[in-house]
Amino acid sequence: MTTLGENRRLPHVQIRELKDDYCEFLLSDTDPSVANALRRIMQVEVPTIAIDLVEIEENTTVLNDEFIAHRLGLVPLVSNAVSSMTGVFETAGESGFMDVEMTLNVKCTSDETMEVTSNDLQLDPNHPEVCPVGYSHDAFDPEKKGILLVKMRKNQELKLRAIARKGIGKDHAKWIPVATVSFQYMPEITINRALMDTLSEQEREDFVKASPTPVFRYNNITKQVETDHIEQYHWDGEALAKAEELGKPGLVTIKERQDMFIFRVEGTGVLKAEDVVITALDVLHRKLYTLQTSLPEQDDVAPLPGVQ
Amino acid sequence: MTVSDQPVHLPNGGSTYENGVHEALLGDPSKLTQPIKDVKDKYELLPAFLKVRGLVKQHIDSFNYFINQEIKKIVRAKGNERVTCDTDPNFYFKYTDIFVGRPQVEEDYITTGITPQACRLRDMTYAAPISVDVEYTRGKEIIVRKGKNGVGAVVIGRMPLMLRSDRCVLKGKSEAQLAELGECPLDPGGYFVVKGAEKVILIQEQLSRNRIIIDLDSKGQVSASVTSSTHERKSKTNIVVGKKGQICMKHNAFAEEVNMAAVLRAMGVESDQEILALVGSEPGLAAMLAPTLQEAKSMGLFIQQQALEYLGARLKAGKQQYSSRRTRSKVDEVRDVLANVVVCHIPVHQFDYQQKAIYMAVMMRRMLAAMIDPSLIDDRDYYGNKRLELAGGLLALLFEDLFKRMNNELKRTADNTLSKANRASQFDAAKNLHVEMISQGMESAISSGNWTIRRFRMERKGVTQVLSRLSFIAALGMMTRITSQFEKTRKVSGPRALQPSQWGMLCPADTPEGESCGLVKNLALMTHVTTDEEEAPLARLAYLLGTQPASLVSGFEHSSRGVAMVFLNGSILGIHRRPKRLVKEFRRLRRAGRVGEFVSIFLQQDSVYIASDGGRVCRPLIICDRGAPRVTSEHTAKLKRGEWAFNDFLREGLVEYLDVNEENNALIALYERNCGPATTHLEIEPFTVLGVVAGLIPYPHHNQSPRNTYQCAMGKQAMGNIAYNQLNVFDTLLYLLVYPQRPLLTTKTIELVGFDKLGAGQNATVAVMSYSGYDIEDAIIMNRASLDRGFGRCIVLRKYGTVLKKHQNRAQDIVQAAGIPSGQSKATGRHKLLDVDGIAAPGEIASPGEILINKLVPMSTKDPLPPNMTSLPLSHYKPAPVSWKGPPGESCIVDKVLLTQNDDGHNVIKTLMRHTRRPEVGDKFSSRHGQKGVVGAIVAQEDMPFSERGICPDLIMNPHGFPSRMTVGKMIELIGSKAAVSSGRFHYGTAFGEGTGLADTVDSISKTLVEHGFSYSGKDQLTSGSSGEPLEAYIFMGPVYYQKLKHMVLDKMHARARGPRVVLTRQPTEGRSRDGGLRLGEMERDCLIGYGASMLLLERLMISSDQFQVHVCNHCGLLGYYDANVGCAVCPSTKSSDDMATLKLPYACKLLFQELQSMNIVPRLKLAEA
Repeated sequence: MTTLGENRRLPHVQIRELKDDYCEFLLSDTDPSVANALRRIMQVEVPTIAIDLVEIEENTTVLNDEFIAHRLGLVPLVSNAVSSMTGVFETAGESGFMDVEMTLNVKCTSDETMEVTSNDLQLDPNHPEVCPVGYSHDAFDPEKKGILLVKMRKNQELKLRAIARKGIGKDHAKWIPVATVSFQYMPEITINRALMDTLSEQEREDFVKASPTPVFRYNNITKQVETDHIEQYHWDGEALAKAEELGKPGLVTIKERQDMFIFRVEGTGVLKAEDVVITALDVLHRKLYTLQTSLPEQDDVAPLPGVQ
Repeated sequence: MTVSDQPVHLPNGGSTYENGVHEALLGDPSKLTQPIKDVKDKYELLPAFLKVRGLVKQHIDSFNYFINQEIKKIVRAKGNERVTCDTDPNFYFKYTDIFVGRPQVEEDYITTGITPQACRLRDMTYAAPISVDVEYTRGKEIIVRKGKNGVGAVVIGRMPLMLRSDRCVLKGKSEAQLAELGECPLDPGGYFVVKGAEKVILIQEQLSRNRIIIDLDSKGQVSASVTSSTHERKSKTNIVVGKKGQICMKHNAFAEEVNMAAVLRAMGVESDQEILALVGSEPGLAAMLAPTLQEAKSMGLFIQQQALEYLGARLKAGKQQYSSRRTRSKVDEVRDVLANVVVCHIPVHQFDYQQKAIYMAVMMRRMLAAMIDPSLIDDRDYYGNKRLELAGGLLALLFEDLFKRMNNELKRTADNTLSKANRASQFDAAKNLHVEMISQGMESAISSGNWTIRRFRMERKGVTQVLSRLSFIAALGMMTRITSQFEKTRKVSGPRALQPSQWGMLCPADTPEGESCGLVKNLALMTHVTTDEEEAPLARLAYLLGTQPASLVSGFEHSSRGVAMVFLNGSILGIHRRPKRLVKEFRRLRRAGRVGEFVSIFLQQDSVYIASDGGRVCRPLIICDRGAPRVTSEHTAKLKRGEWAFNDFLREGLVEYLDVNEENNALIALYERNCGPATTHLEIEPFTVLGVVAGLIPYPHHNQSPRNTYQCAMGKQAMGNIAYNQLNVFDTLLYLLVYPQRPLLTTKTIELVGFDKLGAGQNATVAVMSYSGYDIEDAIIMNRASLDRGFGRCIVLRKYGTVLKKHQNRAQDIVQAAGIPSGQSKATGRHKLLDVDGIAAPGEIASPGEILINKLVPMSTKDPLPPNMTSLPLSHYKPAPVSWKGPPGESCIVDKVLLTQNDDGHNVIKTLMRHTRRPEVGDKFSSRHGQKGVVGAIVAQEDMPFSERGICPDLIMNPHGFPSRMTVGKMIELIGSKAAVSSGRFHYGTAFGEGTGLADTVDSISKTLVEHGFSYSGKDQLTSGSSGEPLEAYIFMGPVYYQKLKHMVLDKMHARARGPRVVLTRQPTEGRSRDGGLRLGEMERDCLIGYGASMLLLERLMISSDQFQVHVCNHCGLLGYYDANVGCAVCPSTKSSDDMATLKLPYACKLLFQELQSMNIVPRLKLAEA
């Protein structure tokens, strides 16, 4: 490990909030490049399952075939089974399967408008775990209505076969596993005490109020300005402008810390947010491994987990 | 206040005024100084107005007036009512009434009702029969034929019907009923369906008729002119200043300018004193009349007879207007001309010229007054002098012409038939009407747009246009369009400029750029165009209100001080001694509903003008009493509760219509706070100055004005939804957006016209920043993931259709199933798509060149078929297939197939091809602020910048688009939309709306943004997607409504290496549609010459174009040819093969030589060794 040299760091991850569809963690002791790589991978290189091929047998709805196919493609599918799947351009593994075949066969017989939703899709009996997010047959719970595909009037019919496949967001946005994923630089706020002392109490209070975010706090006891809730800082520049206005440029300095990032991952229900992060790290690791093994003089390669 | 000013007691109109006086005199004085309260929800008047009037009401009103009233007037007119015969004095054929029926069609002798949608699909004309009641002689008996229930006894033709007019099946239908008929409830109507095509008769603008216009002529002299127009005749009379300062009349009936004194004398105003009295005896005027009177004296014209002779001598030769059988004296002819041709709108009964003489004297008087005071010269571009001609009026002209022609034809047949002594059967005139004449004349005029009116020698082109169904707004914009008769080529700015009098009537933004700029205009939102109204009751009323008939007072009184002349539609009614009172009383009657709401009266200098003619533009305004608006919050509350409609406001005398001229007598306040004691009217809403198309722009009052104009042009090219029935139409070309949205930042106009239901664009998150350099020159960067999710995705539907004709020889076009090659189960190759019926099956995927309809036409369409033969053998047909032409590599889907039959009984086959496209580099997009741009690059989502919330833009726009364009409205739209998405409430950006709460202010928007944790300025801190570093600047980011325009690279891209050539010159063809070459033009050639790249020049101009090898005889210099018998080239004259040279030259050059030779010019080539 010594070959990594002096710049070697040991990044730390501190998980701050973890829900099924949301994950917030602090990544520290690393570079923006690493943080961004992680973000990019979470967005477009974490494989998921989405409908990729639609064979339409009968379509008498108002929407045309490609319209419905496009809508089907964008339906999020629960992708926990993706790890056991094989992508179109991958070599088949032992247990890997490529296609998940769903069918849709609906006909409107009532006089009222009928809504065809993702709940009307019939799952692949071989892979019932691959289903649309929020899939349920509870017709009366408005919360579980499913994702609207098309509305039908009497005697309209839709019959199709939809094949879901593994893919990544780079190929098409329907495979993106997250709604949003972003990171934020941790700000570093330093108050110039000497300059601050030149301000009157009123001015100090004004200064605190000038910031739209509660980044500064006026301590009533010490009569000092303190920093608070630093990460809520919006990069709005109001405090700096106020300092300028008070005739004290340099009263505070605000910098982005280059080694600490707040990550926020919001899932779509396709994968658990934590799975997205873990898979992303895995993908990143794999990429680095590929790079490292391709380099001419390779020594001391950390073995990839799972391989060998 | 005089005693005579006691208000007349009227039920409604007068009472408010009376109360006002009462209160002012006896009430609490402090009340008078109270500030005027704002009328709450005054804006609600506008939707109420549009509910009754609609956006295209002017078209429908005018057409209704035509089919209900004017058509009857035409038939009842003197020259039209009766057809007589020269050969049989007892014969007559008289029309007693005329009716336009309900839309129907007769097929196989069965009459059925038709709907507009059926007509569109079947390529038929949406028309109704015109029927008449008649009375005529047949032999000795008089036959009276009368229909009943509003239908006449005899059908004389078919009248194309305007959609949503009184006779249309769509009239008064509910939304569900309209859907039943296959019609979109948001479609405004007001157009025609002729042979399946939707045609609009554009509003035509012209100078008003029968009005005196004082103008400067080409010599800079003041002149008075009037264009008179009656049912029979149109003529223009000019009064000009002659060479010696005398006043002359210029008219087409006279060969030269004739002395005005002579004209008046010929009309019976004999003495100089009388002339002076009529024209004006003020010293200034009298002096100016002197040369005229002197000239008349020097010519010896003292009495009527002499004047008539003088005029008779100057009558244009060959102008035999009247029955040429009798030869009449010149004097009689002049009498006739003066009575019927000169200023023909003033009727002359029994050669009593008094009215006409007074009229011509007034013309002279006004002209002389303008010579003294040039400010009295009229402005031709002033909108009060303009009249708009609508569909009804134009159709009336056409109908009368055709009707006359039909009657002439009937008369001819009657003349011919009745002159024969022995007839087999009695002549029944009703069976000899040429029914086709009116039907065909109307149909072809509307479908071609060529308006030919024989009696006025009028020949107008382009009166109708195909309704543009590119977007809902394009169609709506077309219905409000006005074209001017002014020639486009003339380089004058006057008629093109925005006239102050157009305020509130015409949209200041919506006009095209380029040659027709300012000549094509659009109506504003609340404009109404009047139709003709009966004159006689108005005249009677004017007399009752104290107008003295002009013929009963002496000439001196006409021009005396304080006396005003009263005009009704340009004709003199008489004089009034208290003109202000007349105007006041008249208006009061109008507000009380005793006079038509569109009748206008106004006072100008010393004349009162009452106008009830059609084609005036007017708009509703709230009436104010001493600056206090009559409409109060109670009234608007009633409106909101639905107790009142707009007409109740008119009925109660709270709101009235003012036309452009009457606006000059009014002081109109824009807002309640501007009301002063002199204010007479209050605007309903300021944003109604804009039209429908400009009304889509949010915050247009913050934009540089040309940007709004640009948007007006682009809004019509935006894709979106066309109508609710868009998937059931077979238009030649239809662009639809897959996911259209309604704008987050709307305006009141958008809601009123229904753009929120048929949007044409999408709310894109826009980041204003530079990215990658692929965004120069207004190019935009797009997010690939957004495109994946359906942003900017569109469907292009194109019709490929054909008609299976039945030919003269009973042979028919047929559609033939494709032969299936042996061993195959389906047809192959180009016939792959065809179903068993020979037409492409819906759902099939077509590649370029594949056949959609396998039509065969008979080789011979003339030779009679052998008898007993129902169909020809296949060998007698030649193929005439309809195939899909598309860009190579693309494929397209057969969406729908329609088989039907048209008006002529021919079978019609239409196929609709569907192509779904996602945006690609080069497609054109635009925001609603005249900011267009093409897609410069499509970038992956992970490379797009993102905010800490994880938002990344759909679209990146370069900030250089802002400084020079000054589209501040777009910036406000951006922050407004951002506030709208974060607060979940649609925001408004109605024009001039901040003051009245119809637009959100920047302050309130900023507040909302801050509440939701954004910067008040709309800027966000973004991080670069590719490097992960924070961007140095804050980025202005938020949603903006973007339109996808119809210009897409797929339809335009073109390249060619080798390809077709023109047969004659063997040069490459021209144009994309013919797979043509790209021309290296003259200027490009000059560059290469200048650079000296001679080999490149040779290659481009000859080798790559039309290189040709020729043989030239070195002796005679003529082009030889290759003789295959000899095996070498020979000279054309000596046939010897000695000394023949071979060289290469452009084929066009060889062609030139041969063409010269054919003209007996011998071009000889002298060759030298290269």
